[in-house]
Formats: sequence, structure tokens, C-alpha cells
Amino acid sequence: MRTLLALAALVLVAACGSSEGGADKAAVKEGRWSYVSGNGETVKVDHTPVRIIAHSDEAAALMSYGIKPVGIFGNEKPAENRNLKDHDLDGIAVLGTAWGEVDVEKAAALNPDLIVTDWWPAEKAYGGFENGVKAKSKKLADLAPVIGGSQGKSLVETIAYYEGLAASLGADVAQGADEKEAFEAAVARFRKATAAKPGLTVMAMSPADDMLYVGNPPYSPELMDFGKWGLKVLAPKSPDPSFPYWENLSWEKADSYQPDLVLMDDRAWEQSQKIAAKQPTWKSIRAVAAGAVVPWPAYWIHTYASYAEQLDELAAAIENARADIGS
Amino acid sequence: MSGRVAGLAALLVVLVLTCGLSIVLGARDVSWHTLWSAFTAYDDHDTAQRVLREMRIPRTLLGLVVGAALGVAGSLLQGLTRNPLADPGIMGINAGAALAVVSGVMLLGVGSGPASVWLAFLGAAAATAAVYGIASLGRDGATPVKLALAGAALTAGMSAVTTGIVMTHIEALNALRFWQVGSLAGRYLPVFWQVVWFIAGALVVSLVAGRLLNGLALGEDVARGLGMRVGLVRAVLFATVALLCGAATAACGPIVFVGLVVPHVARMLCGPDYRWIVPYSMVIAPVLLLAADVIGRLALGRGELQVGVVLGVLGAPVFVGLVRYRGVAEL
Repeated sequence: MRTLLALAALVLVAACGSSEGGADKAAVKEGRWSYVSGNGETVKVDHTPVRIIAHSDEAAALMSYGIKPVGIFGNEKPAENRNLKDHDLDGIAVLGTAWGEVDVEKAAALNPDLIVTDWWPAEKAYGGFENGVKAKSKKLADLAPVIGGSQGKSLVETIAYYEGLAASLGADVAQGADEKEAFEAAVARFRKATAAKPGLTVMAMSPADDMLYVGNPPYSPELMDFGKWGLKVLAPKSPDPSFPYWENLSWEKADSYQPDLVLMDDRAWEQSQKIAAKQPTWKSIRAVAAGAVVPWPAYWIHTYASYAEQLDELAAAIENARADIGS
Repeated sequence: MSGRVAGLAALLVVLVLTCGLSIVLGARDVSWHTLWSAFTAYDDHDTAQRVLREMRIPRTLLGLVVGAALGVAGSLLQGLTRNPLADPGIMGINAGAALAVVSGVMLLGVGSGPASVWLAFLGAAAATAAVYGIASLGRDGATPVKLALAGAALTAGMSAVTTGIVMTHIEALNALRFWQVGSLAGRYLPVFWQVVWFIAGALVVSLVAGRLLNGLALGEDVARGLGMRVGLVRAVLFATVALLCGAATAACGPIVFVGLVVPHVARMLCGPDYRWIVPYSMVIAPVLLLAADVIGRLALGRGELQVGVVLGVLGAPVFVGLVRYRGVAEL
């Protein structure tokens, strides 16, 4: 029996060896590659990775620098992902279209040498490997090392992380200079807008059928950035200890917080508006009654270009906002 | 006889008190003064009064009809199948209704209005037929254990498909928790009006059916000997169960344990006569559902726990207790 197993192992090794000796080898650059991941650990590969599987938003970040992954997985169909909308997805295998579900068998067939997905410090897990993801899907991590930027204290850092990662993977990141410039300009406009409205307060909210989720700034990198750029983002008093991104507020107490401007989760904007409108207490938030509700680009931005676009819209909203609605 | 009437009257008093608690207690503290003015001098700019009139009262009404529907559905089902473990939750009926609603709304684009109740009804009927059919395979027919096993298996399968459908529609991601455990929160008068007539009609049929269930309880041959058209009666009553469960699930998502535990409690209080078990269940079930909902509102402090979760937590030990001390198999 033991000999049989050994034989089988030998055959397997031989099979793997031959596939590595195939067409890919030419593209593989010589020498070891290493890069520090968002969780502080250094990821090492014995060559510069070229066969990358990435979570969809992160894939879009890499593609904006010309690094095309071989496979992507996301929380939605690629057509519904706004980061991917400007990219050519020809030849990219779609490995998952729902949160927590990845077709690992299909992924294995792609023979990946790196998995790229955000690090979520609050959950101490990479996207796609959080609590609740099926064990079968988590086997993705057995195929190749996992690396990603941290969804930590600043979205600018996250975006810069992917710029650096793309450069280390061989991309010419200098071609993104225009986008970076537009981003700097948007930040300047945002700072100017907040400076002109020093008393303005905002809160981030995400309405659901049975609860109103209130965003907790320390766990939202973009809200942290907004704060650094002069916007007063109010924090909820008692976030959920086990999932500190949010306070779970009963709809009965929707009027607990009264900001001047509501930033509403824009990941399902129209649906969220409908859900909120059904709640008798949604308008007990005075900003809502006054129509002061604007999109909050929650957790999806990964490039300077989309950040610039969203910051411009927010700056415009702040310029037009009244600072005397909330309390 | 008079003892049973008195018992029912006492339960009605408990139900009224529970409704009172469900209106008074919740995430938001409401003063007696606000309560008084909400009915005497309603001011719709006062958020606390709006919470009472537009949230607590509709929520209580919904708990009332959905509770009654689930309790009665459970007692009908236990009588029909002569199976003490029959329960709309355990038998997969609620899961079938949920799957039908989710598929209809998300895949076929059916609106979430009255059409969804009909969908839920169809899903409940299909699940009932499937579970009963599978459990009936083999020589000894649909034994309690086989019914519970078939129900558990189909519930797991259908819930998985429901989860899959909801998860792949990002705009509905927040609906997922609702379709997994069921909740009375955030669903107001429109939902109540959508289901109340279905449930009221089915409850009337159920109240009349007590004598027939007593006949069935004697066994099919005896019932037939008494001149009952057994096939027709069973078909009508199964349809009634599907309607009750479908409407309840369309309104509040899949809720378990109410339909299982309540008929046993009713039987302890009023004996084995279905002419009494059905009305007792109709009163006890909303007491249980509303009490569980109130506990869920207060348990976490700021947020709310879904009533389905509370019932799961409370229901399991109660059920174990029932099995342990009363010997449910004596049905």
C-alpha cells in the first residue's frame, strides 16, 4: 500500500513539474520576489508572480496599471461591479460571483502563483477568507500565497499599496500620474469645502429592512480620510462589539443621531433608498427630511481615479450643505 | 367544558396583556404620556408617537396574525399526520414558502405585493407534498421520525438555494438574514393587510375542522366508517396548512418552533380534543411569538435580535422538555 502511495506521489510530482515547464516559464522573471502584505507579513515567491487571481475590486486596481489577472472572484457578477466596468475582462476566468463563494477547482486549473485580496484588520482575515466563508472556498489559499492592502486607517494608503504592488509586479506606475494629479486636486477641493463649513457634521448610514446600520469611522478607511481632510464624521455611540464596522440601530431609534448631512451606503443605492423610505422614522433624521442625503462610497474604491471622482461629488455636496440641520 | 372555556378566556387575557407589552416595550423608551397622546392627540411630527402608531402597533398586529397562523398550522398538521413532531418549520413548509417568494421576487421579477403571498402558498404546498411524499416511501409509511428527517433534509436544501439566490443579488444582500430566520421588525401595515385576509379565512376553516381532526385522530378506517370523506378532508386541511404557513412566511420569513411547541402546550391545557386544541393554539401561539419578539427587542440593548433567533434559542430547550417529561409520542 505504502509503495502504491509513493508511486502515486511520484506521478503527481512529475505531472506538476511538466506543467511548470510549459509555456508559462518564458514569462516568469528570474529571481525571488517578495512584498509586505497589509497584515505586516512578508510574502515570498520564487519568481515574480504572473498568474494572479484577485478579488474583483483589487483586480481592477491592478488592471489600471496594466497587470491583468488570470482569474477574479467577487461579491457580485463582474458586470455589476463598478470598478471593473472600464476594464477588458476577456480571457479572465470568473471564479465567484457571490460573497464567500469561490470555485477552487476552477481556480486550481489556472495554476495561480499569487492571490490578491484586501486584508480586513477588524476581522483579521483576507477578503474571501472571513468567518462565514465556506471551508471549501477557503481552500483557495492552498493554491498560492495570499497578499493584499489593508482596509485599515486610510484609503489613500490602500490605494498606494496597490500602486506599489503593481510596480513590484513589473507595471509602469508612472503612467497613472494624471489620475494621481486629479486625485490631489479633488482632495484639495474637499479640504477647501470642509474648511468653509467648519461646523458641518455628517454620519454614514446603511439602511436595511430590520435595522439601520450606522457606520463606525475607525473601521472605514474612507471615513477616516474624510476626517483627516477636515470633515466632522460623527461616530455612533455603541458599535457592535463583534462586528465593529457598524452600530446596529433599531429603526425605532433612527432619530438618535442628528447629523447635518447623511452619507448613505452607495453599494445598493436605489434599493437602500427604497428600504429607507418604507420606514416611518427615516425622516425623523432631520437631514433626511431636508433632503441632505448623499452617496457614501463604502469600502469599494481602490484607485486614485475613482476616489477623485467620488471626492469631487462629495466636495460639491459639502459646498451646498447647510450646517444648521443637525444637532 | 366550562373549565376549558375559562382556560381560553384566561389565555385571551394573557394575549391582551402580551399585546400591551409589545406596544409599550421596545428599543425606544416611550412614556405613558406619549402612549396616551398617541391615541388621544396624535401628532405625526412627534417621532415617539409615530413609533407607537406606525411601528409598534403594526408590528403587534403582524405578530398576532402570524402567530395564530403558525400555531394553528402546527396543530392541524399534527392532527393530520398523527405525528407529534409535525411542524411547519421542521417539515420544511416555511422554507419552501421562503424559497418560492425569493425565487419569484428575485429571479422572475414578481412584485413583493399580494403575488408573493400566492407564491409562498404554492411553495408551502409543494414543500408539504414533497416532504410527505418522501417520508411516505417505504413500508411503514410516514412515521414521525421519517417525516422529521425528510423535513430537516429538505429544509436544509431549500434554505441553501434561498441563500444562494439572495446572495447573488447584491441589491438584496440585507434581505438575507430575513429569509434565513424570520423577523417581525421593519414590516408594517402594508404587509399586514397583504396577509390578514388569507390568514383569517384559513383560521375560520381550521376552527370548523376540529371535529374532522378528531375523526382522523381515531385512524383513517374509523374515520371512514364514521362516514367521513377522508381524502377530501385531508386535501382541504393540507391546503389550509399551506395557506397559513405561506401567508405567515411571506409576511415574516421562515419562523420555526411556534407550530411545533404550541399545539403541545395546548394539548396539556385542554386535552386531546381538536375542537379545543385549535382555538387554544390560536391564542397561545401569538402570545409566544410576541413575547419572543419583545425579548428580542430588549435583549441586546441597542439593536434588536430577530424573533426567529429568539424562538430558536427558547424553543429548543422547551421542546426537549416536552419530549422528556410529557412523552410526545402519546399522540
